[in-house]
Amino acid sequence: MTDGPLIVQSDKTLLLDIDHAMSTECRRAIAPFAELERSPEHIHTYRLTNLGLWNARAAGHDAEMVIDTLIKYSRYAVPHSILVDVAETMSRYGRLRLEADPIHGLILVTTDTAVLEEVIRAKKIAPLLGVRIDNDTIAVHPSQRGQIKQSLLRLGWPAEDFAGYVDGQAHDIELKQDDWKIRPYQELAAEGFWHGGSGVVVLPCGAGKTIVGAAAMAHAKATTLILVTNTIAARQWREELLKRTTLNEDEIGEYSGAKKEIRPVTIATYQVMTKKKDGVYAHLDLFDTHDWGLIIYDEVHLLPAPIFRFTADIQSRRRLGLTATLVREDGMEGEVFSLIGPKRFDVPWKEIESQGYIAPAQCVEVRVNLSETERISYATAEPEERYRFCATTRTKRNVVESLVAHHAGEQILVIGQYIDQLDELSETLGVPLIKGETPVKEREILFNKFRTGEVTCLVVSKVANFSIDLPDATIAIQVSGAFGSRQEEAQRLGRILRPKSDGRSATFYSVVSRDTIDQDFAQNRQRFLAEQGYAYKIIDADDVFQGKI
Amino acid sequence: MQMRSFTDYLRSVDDAALLELFTLRADLISPVPSDIASLAVRACSAPSLARAIDALNQWQFQILEACAVINEPFSEKQIVAVTEKAATEVISELIARGLIYPSDDGMRLPNSVREVLGNEIAGLGPASMAKINLKKLDDAPAAATKVLERLIWGPPRGSIGDIKNPGAGVAWLLEENFMVPLDQRTVILPREVGIYLRGGKVHKDRSVVPPEIKGSKRDARNVQLAAIANVATVLRWADEILEYWAQEPADALRAGGLGVRDLKIIATHMGIDENCAAFIAELVYLAGLVTIDADDKILPTNNFDIWLTQSASVRWQALAAPWLITSRVSGLVGRAESKNTAALGPELDRVNAASTRALVLKLLAENKDVAPELESFTKRVKWCAPSKRNPGLQEEMVHWTLREAEWLGITGQGVISKYGQEFLSGADLEIIDADLPQPVDHILIQSDNTAIAPGPLVHDVAAVLAIIADIESRGGATVYRFNDTTIRRGLDHGKTGDEIISFLRKTSKTPIPQPLEYLIADVAKKHGRLRVGNTSSFIRCEDPALITQIISDKRLEILSLRRIAPEVMICDMDAHDVMNVLRNAGYLPAAESTNGMLLTGPRSSRAQSKPRPPRIIGELEVPTDAALTAAIRTIRVGEKSSHKQSTLRNIANNALGALPRTTANETLDVLLKYIQEQRSLSIGYADNNGAVSHRIIDPLKISAGSLIARDHGTGEMQTFRIPRITGVAPL
Repeated sequence: MTDGPLIVQSDKTLLLDIDHAMSTECRRAIAPFAELERSPEHIHTYRLTNLGLWNARAAGHDAEMVIDTLIKYSRYAVPHSILVDVAETMSRYGRLRLEADPIHGLILVTTDTAVLEEVIRAKKIAPLLGVRIDNDTIAVHPSQRGQIKQSLLRLGWPAEDFAGYVDGQAHDIELKQDDWKIRPYQELAAEGFWHGGSGVVVLPCGAGKTIVGAAAMAHAKATTLILVTNTIAARQWREELLKRTTLNEDEIGEYSGAKKEIRPVTIATYQVMTKKKDGVYAHLDLFDTHDWGLIIYDEVHLLPAPIFRFTADIQSRRRLGLTATLVREDGMEGEVFSLIGPKRFDVPWKEIESQGYIAPAQCVEVRVNLSETERISYATAEPEERYRFCATTRTKRNVVESLVAHHAGEQILVIGQYIDQLDELSETLGVPLIKGETPVKEREILFNKFRTGEVTCLVVSKVANFSIDLPDATIAIQVSGAFGSRQEEAQRLGRILRPKSDGRSATFYSVVSRDTIDQDFAQNRQRFLAEQGYAYKIIDADDVFQGKI
Repeated sequence: MQMRSFTDYLRSVDDAALLELFTLRADLISPVPSDIASLAVRACSAPSLARAIDALNQWQFQILEACAVINEPFSEKQIVAVTEKAATEVISELIARGLIYPSDDGMRLPNSVREVLGNEIAGLGPASMAKINLKKLDDAPAAATKVLERLIWGPPRGSIGDIKNPGAGVAWLLEENFMVPLDQRTVILPREVGIYLRGGKVHKDRSVVPPEIKGSKRDARNVQLAAIANVATVLRWADEILEYWAQEPADALRAGGLGVRDLKIIATHMGIDENCAAFIAELVYLAGLVTIDADDKILPTNNFDIWLTQSASVRWQALAAPWLITSRVSGLVGRAESKNTAALGPELDRVNAASTRALVLKLLAENKDVAPELESFTKRVKWCAPSKRNPGLQEEMVHWTLREAEWLGITGQGVISKYGQEFLSGADLEIIDADLPQPVDHILIQSDNTAIAPGPLVHDVAAVLAIIADIESRGGATVYRFNDTTIRRGLDHGKTGDEIISFLRKTSKTPIPQPLEYLIADVAKKHGRLRVGNTSSFIRCEDPALITQIISDKRLEILSLRRIAPEVMICDMDAHDVMNVLRNAGYLPAAESTNGMLLTGPRSSRAQSKPRPPRIIGELEVPTDAALTAAIRTIRVGEKSSHKQSTLRNIANNALGALPRTTANETLDVLLKYIQEQRSLSIGYADNNGAVSHRIIDPLKISAGSLIARDHGTGEMQTFRIPRITGVAPL
């Protein structure tokens, strides 16, 4: 028995005691093969997954190194079965290889004939294969590269992909670091991605994912297609790229509802890509019109289904996914991994915070008591109306007013789900509202005013959930949300995480009606952040009214 | 004194020799025989000999076989000649075991040894009756050599087309008496010829030395670490399976044992495969920690409570010791070929299971530097204890025992650990307590509502946590998760919110996150706010004063009323009775229905059951024409058949006085004749109990020893077994 920081559990989770002197060292050692699951205050949870172990193999680590690391840092003796399992799992990787072949295009080669025999008999694999070339080789339809990789992964025989990536049309892109410097973790993330070929980088909101994208482009030095959530985000990407790279205005095109420019670097919105015209996706051709060397998916957790399907067909192009919260309420995380690529980089939010790259934030849940009459109406409301009812109670409005008054002088965002509620709030507080129907131009003007400080408080609907860069916002007040969505909560917190010029910390208020399903949903919403180490503080609405915050 | 028999020999040996014999063959003195003669009888009995022979290793067994194929009396020299020099040592070992014995004129075998060894010992045929000249074999014709080659190493029998018309090779061999005909189609090679062809030896490979055990070396420290991890894990598994069954007892199968479904459930619950789950289930069963209760529920016993309080070494020993000596084989559970063999079931006992297990462990202990590789290890086991009856099972037993030893921590990474060594030598196991991680008495609570016990928890803390939180991950540490359901469970177990909070505050090294405190307080606040109970009637009144008056009315004490709200009382008596009591006391109650309607007017009762008017007897309805004709038709048809049957029965009864008796051959002849002529005949037929009945039948055909015929009595086709037909007679 050593006195290490790591406890290896029999269900293949690894518990890392971060108060231990060796924890940082250990974290670095296990990061290549274990996936970070939760990172609250004291003990971080990692998990050994097949995917993680195979990724480690792909990155050149072998089973012995993994086992040595586990034994070295483990506090208690490591269960033998886990060690055996690690060795076995890792030995499955690389017995099948996808290779480029001058005659057949793409071939599947094995070092173990029995494995090939097994997989070619699998129902899901057979249709993807071509002629058998010899005992150990079989042709694969080049268009099925994504499919076959996915299916092989599910069978437990991951193929090592040696077929490489197309370089795409070369286009010189450099980072222009004269008045700023790329942060170490951004560089690590970009490199991690580049060596892996494709994959997903997970960084907290406000930690500068755009720069990781830019750095990846500088690695690829090729024409790039960037997919983002909306037009505002597209414009922000454009600004950022102009500022951070050698690209000039003519090299960056916007492909959105408003404009259809195709340039060496094209930024397209998911919305326009998935727009149907006469029943077909008219704009998906964009993937093919150009010989892209890199495709970047911003906010990959929102990737819509049609793009998933299309992505399967472009496995020979490099793909980078960016997100803060790889939590999909639809459970499609697995699809993201196999189609875009595995997670290449992940880091606990609190670690970035401690390095000062995102603002320290405090999360506060304000519990509001419903009035007697509200309680009765809530109790008798139709089940499907209940959440709306308790999320939009009048008392919440009073609390928001008090909070805004309390934080006068700071940059405040009031975020909500229900437009009626937001309309009312906007009216009561006398501040502008940005919602879905607000024209892009007006949104930009308002956001600009907010950035300059001309406007100190904005009421926003879910349109501002993502990708909106508002550096000086320090207070966010959430009055309602999309039920129990964990990633929405995290994204909303993300709006105020950009480091402040004066190093101030940010505060995130979530106003919740006590003893209603609002409270239950809030608990679920908070889970992601709680697992990232954000401890919620619960206060009573009365405390807010009395100024005791 | 002349010494020829085994009894004579036993009479002649000294106490030391007898002592050795009894040590080697313990069954001989259980119970202790009355005298040497009865000892000799027992020692020569087939079961005792079989047991003694089973205990021989491969080399000893080969020597015994060699002794058995040589004519008695024989000398040591003869045995060495047909085997190896090293045989001399073994001969004395066999004598010590009473499997051969010296007599006046040489060595002999006790009577039954040959029978126990079976026919064609070592693949050799019987001794030749005729004189044979073995030298001639050297120039046997090519055809004969070919035939011989097939029979050399046994079995010594061969089948040929027809003895009267053999091939050239066989003909020559038969002529020279190198081969003896057994029957029309079989020939056998005499023993002498076999031994001669085997180069004068009895066996092809003489296994003088045991095969070497191959294996890989392991780092001693890692072995220890792996073993202690295994020890910790097996204890945890046992704990978990018992806790699980305490909460959700599994139902035993009707045939006894744990069903496949329940096995799967616990395997999934513990995150292990079903083999391992079956092993753990058997382990706790053997240790008496779980039992199948009278109502077929599989439940932990009281021993479990004691077990929980014991130190790790004692707990481990409680599991390992019964495993070592049991004849039950948990590896048999869930094999494809024996699907119905259930853990905790009645079909797991196997002869030699314990001895094979002991042998495997002994070999592990002897080779304590290597993790043995299964194939060579199995070979060695086979050499040490050549299993004649069920070699397949033995091989599997070796595999299972190695696997189970690893699960138990007797080995670590396949090498015997120091715990295993101490355990097998019967020493104190306190080192286990010293080497296991020390129990911790605290947890770390985090803001995501999880708590982590960074090591094995002391029992009482673990017990409380198990109630108020769900376990999310197990292993060296335990991860607990709190949510409203688990807190409610704690409250249901009689804890208050404050108790839970103060317990956590006391146990947690880190401050309790505020959301968790709120969660507990919220659930506690709501818990029990709604109360549910049973009652028979209620009394309500708009005027609380009247209620108070009734409650304090001495005359109504008989109702034992309970006031549950200012305006409501409840009573366990029926509403009707309550009304009567109240009326007698001078109150004026009115009845109310369950949906609040006032029941006024005289009380009139209705029966609860469905109406069932009595049947009408003595009067009949006039039947319809159709019914009448149908009835007549039925009667006519019935009459016809019963008349026919009764005539046939009469014939049979008449013949009863003379139950037909014929010999077997006659019976067959007559039957065949009647089948051809298609005529009825009477037979005597014995039933399962031997009672003979008289039947009249129409024989149809004879096949596979049975007669198929139509029985006039029943009018049905029936199969009669010919040996049961006592006789036939024409009608």
